[in-house]
Amino acid sequence: MSADHSDHDHHHDHDHAHQHASGGKHPPHPIREDDDVELTPGEAKFLALKGLLIEKGLLTADEIRRRHEINDRGTPHQGARMVAKAWLDPAFKARMLHDGKAAARELGIEVTEADLMVIENTPQRHNLIVCTLCSCYPRSLLGEPPAWYVSKAYRSRAVREPRQVLREFGLAVPETVEVQVHDSNADLRYIVLPLRPAGTEGMSEEALAALVSRDCLVGAALPGKPASA
Amino acid sequence: MPPDANATFAPGDRVRIVDLGKPGHVRTPMYVRDKVGIIDRYCGRFENPEERAYGRIGRTRIPLYRVRLRQRDLWPDYAGAESDTLVLEIYDHWLRPA
Amino acid sequence: MAERLITDIGGLPAGEVPRQEAPPLFWQKHMLALFNVLWSKGVINLDEYRRTMEEMAPDAYNKSTFYGRRLDGMISLLVEKGLIDRADLAARTDAILRKGTRDHAA
Repeated sequence: MSADHSDHDHHHDHDHAHQHASGGKHPPHPIREDDDVELTPGEAKFLALKGLLIEKGLLTADEIRRRHEINDRGTPHQGARMVAKAWLDPAFKARMLHDGKAAARELGIEVTEADLMVIENTPQRHNLIVCTLCSCYPRSLLGEPPAWYVSKAYRSRAVREPRQVLREFGLAVPETVEVQVHDSNADLRYIVLPLRPAGTEGMSEEALAALVSRDCLVGAALPGKPASA
Repeated sequence: MPPDANATFAPGDRVRIVDLGKPGHVRTPMYVRDKVGIIDRYCGRFENPEERAYGRIGRTRIPLYRVRLRQRDLWPDYAGAESDTLVLEIYDHWLRPA
Repeated sequence: MAERLITDIGGLPAGEVPRQEAPPLFWQKHMLALFNVLWSKGVINLDEYRRTMEEMAPDAYNKSTFYGRRLDGMISLLVEKGLIDRADLAARTDAILRKGTRDHAA
């Protein structure tokens, strides 16, 4: 089979944005956050694997480094930007609900998963995202998922007792509001479009985006209230 | 996305997610097997992960659907609201009309 | 009825959701990048990768960490495809651990 890059990307739960570098040169040896951390057996095994694969010519260190930089482009803020724009622009919101990837592209965000579905919270329904089978998450948009999302406890319980799980997160959904859980078990990836909080009239898109946390985009939190004047 | 001529089911159809008893890599979780739900949406055609997982790539794409189920139908002791639901993606060959 | 995959845990009993933040270490992100590169080159695919993790012994899976099983799954898959040798990898791992430093030249 030909190495068709875009075709591979469409089934990827680890794939990430293909954006150009935002500018500025990288130093020859990027600072590594864990340089002060003792070398663990896990990391040693990884370094051994990497060296072995490079020696065998299966890939190069430079290819890994470049991909690492691309992966680092995914952050929750990109999802927050989409939400903020949707709150302010009903036409954009409609486009986003119809085709999440195309809407992201309007904001200069390249989502590389097969499909991005944006699920809207309403006064009648609260949405929660999980991947029970592994850790599917829209990584090219949001980066790596939080540790709790990939935990066995969340993967087991979110589908069976979502309201109890949400209460652990400090979120009590009234009985009159439906909780709909989305198990991201195949090719689609999801984010939640939270309800716009009250008291945010007149706020800028940037200020609105700041209210939308990583956990909001999965349905485990509600957007923050604006700070009182 | 409108269903194409080769998609078996349409949104609103009642379906049963069967247990094919298939060993190895499958993406139909146990907790929805032999449960009845409603087709929520036709997602398009995708390569079958049950084939891809064994290196059989580039094969015919198969229809994928989002299926919506009632939580009270999934869990005998479900303690949430009557209206609570769950939606997940199921490939065509795991579905039968219900 | 086929046996439940070890990864198929939706609905099984479990305790409180752990909330401690654990942002990935540099090497863990580097490992994900390495996987992405291998995939984009057609060496392995995501479905095979998931399958090798599903084939872990249940005891090993239950004790595994998120990144630990991703590393071990990738190794199993590359061994399965005849691309690497486990003994060779083990020897290199020991050498790196004995030396105790990271390879900053790569």
